[in-house]
Amino acid sequence: MVPTAVECTGRVVEQAPLARDTFRLRLECPEIAEQIVPGQFFMIRIPGGSDPLLGRPFALYDVARDADGRAVAIDFVYHVIGKVTGLLAGWSGGERVELWGPLGNGFPVPRAGHLVCVGGGIGYTPFLAVAREAAGQRRYGNPGRAVAEKASRVTLLYGVQTRDVRADLSDFADIPRFSHRISTDDGSEGRAGFVTELLREMLTDETERPAAVYCCGPEPMMRATAALCAEHEAPCWLSLETPMACGFGACFSCVTRVRVDEDPGWDYRRTCVEGPVFSSASLLLE
Amino acid sequence: MADLRVTLNRLSLRNPILVASGTFGYAREMAAYVDFGRIGGVIPKTITPLPRMGNRPPRTVETASGMLNSIGLDNDGLEAFIEKHLGYLLTLETAVIANIAGRNTDEFVEMARRLGEFQRLAGLELNISCPNVSGGVDYGTDPTLTYEVVAAVRGACELPVIAKLTPNVTNITTVAAAAAEAGADAVSLVNTFQGMAIDWRRRTPVLGNRIGGLSGPAIKPLALRCVWQVAQSVPVPVIGIGGIQSIDDVMEFLVAGASAVQIGTANFYNPGLSSALVEELEKTVDAEGCERVVDLVGTLKAS
Repeated sequence: MVPTAVECTGRVVEQAPLARDTFRLRLECPEIAEQIVPGQFFMIRIPGGSDPLLGRPFALYDVARDADGRAVAIDFVYHVIGKVTGLLAGWSGGERVELWGPLGNGFPVPRAGHLVCVGGGIGYTPFLAVAREAAGQRRYGNPGRAVAEKASRVTLLYGVQTRDVRADLSDFADIPRFSHRISTDDGSEGRAGFVTELLREMLTDETERPAAVYCCGPEPMMRATAALCAEHEAPCWLSLETPMACGFGACFSCVTRVRVDEDPGWDYRRTCVEGPVFSSASLLLE
Repeated sequence: MADLRVTLNRLSLRNPILVASGTFGYAREMAAYVDFGRIGGVIPKTITPLPRMGNRPPRTVETASGMLNSIGLDNDGLEAFIEKHLGYLLTLETAVIANIAGRNTDEFVEMARRLGEFQRLAGLELNISCPNVSGGVDYGTDPTLTYEVVAAVRGACELPVIAKLTPNVTNITTVAAAAAEAGADAVSLVNTFQGMAIDWRRRTPVLGNRIGGLSGPAIKPLALRCVWQVAQSVPVPVIGIGGIQSIDDVMEFLVAGASAVQIGTANFYNPGLSSALVEELEKTVDAEGCERVVDLVGTLKAS
């Protein structure tokens, strides 16, 4: 469970556009900032009303530190798609939100070798903190999680529908031994087609071969990534996004099919507490 | 300081703020947010005799000031509950009321007998009102079956018994009266209202189970009506449930005739609410110039 999670109020510090209808929002919240690790998430709720009613889950993008190096704020990136994100997009700073976290397990501590992150659409956002940690540039958590042996390099394979919605990746620019490749469905930038084609090339090139693949994005993309990794025997982890009401295991909404020994070979497990990151081999993907 | 203790026949609670089954996990999930030592009691997620996988996702969807759920009583069964959760629950400094659902009276009796071995349990709540499984809502819509199952459970164990009622009936007072006559120490109401959400563009229901149960602030007026009617006409303590998210909501249910309340959906979006409400209740009862919270129960004036 999550004995270290807290419920608190966060203040919006700043907001910056990263692409069409895509924004990075910074929330002052030291209680969560000092504990959260890459791949974990938190729930945000608009205070005061009952519509929207429930909190919404957002993945950690990065932790912001003050001049003394103390973790003071959390960044997340969102795409405007509904009631809550529509409201967030109108904010300019000073607004307050209710939030609780950190939630979920996060990505495993990176291992040595080439780490390949596959992000589809807004699913690329957990990989800034993942890449910083894997490259040994930042530590996350309290005490900071130790990375036994830094990744030799990190590659982000980033797939989007079209150039207009492709996020500005300049936040990734100062990460050592990091590179990225882009695919667009319509060919308006980078490789034309699905991001999994870029992954296939890496898996079949001995000089590029990943030590691990981390993936987050639309379900068909994650299924394809898992299948490719299985075919090429590369360890793969998926960060799932399933509809959830609470984020801490009370509602039993966000279940996904996890393989078990007992009949019928799988059981529904809560994504919020057993995930959101699962090894792809442990899942029975529908 | 106001006296917050309430007594519902054989069930005594240190205050009337409980948390509703299915919205609080097995309490462990809430440990980071709730001071268990403050609240009146915990009702963990419904247990069935055997494990149930639950319904296919999506299992919840937000609606205007509410949510629909069709979890389908996903649980690991009675013995797993005893093995994995009951030990922890009984270490908490609060009343623990186990919530059970069977497909027939024999299953209710079998579970009541087994749980009756645990004398530190504060009581049993019978889920005869789940709208998302067959065999659930059917019990709570039939006064004769309600009488049968409550009487049978009363005969099978010593624990105080609460019957949790569905609002999906023409007249909830007849079902409440049947439960009271069969010896229920209290009735809790309401469980969710059956509802549906539709994605018209795809021409599909939103929930995997097609229909579900509506909860949250949207149902509070509907629940208040049920609580008031039952409290008026049936001689049994009522536990009010339905969209409570503030101290004013709590007071409305108490004044309508509820001796205690359960916080449900609000646990999902304000996980620390239940313990915070106890503090606020203390202040509110004091501010009303009352020495005891029970003096406020059922004080609604006819107008």
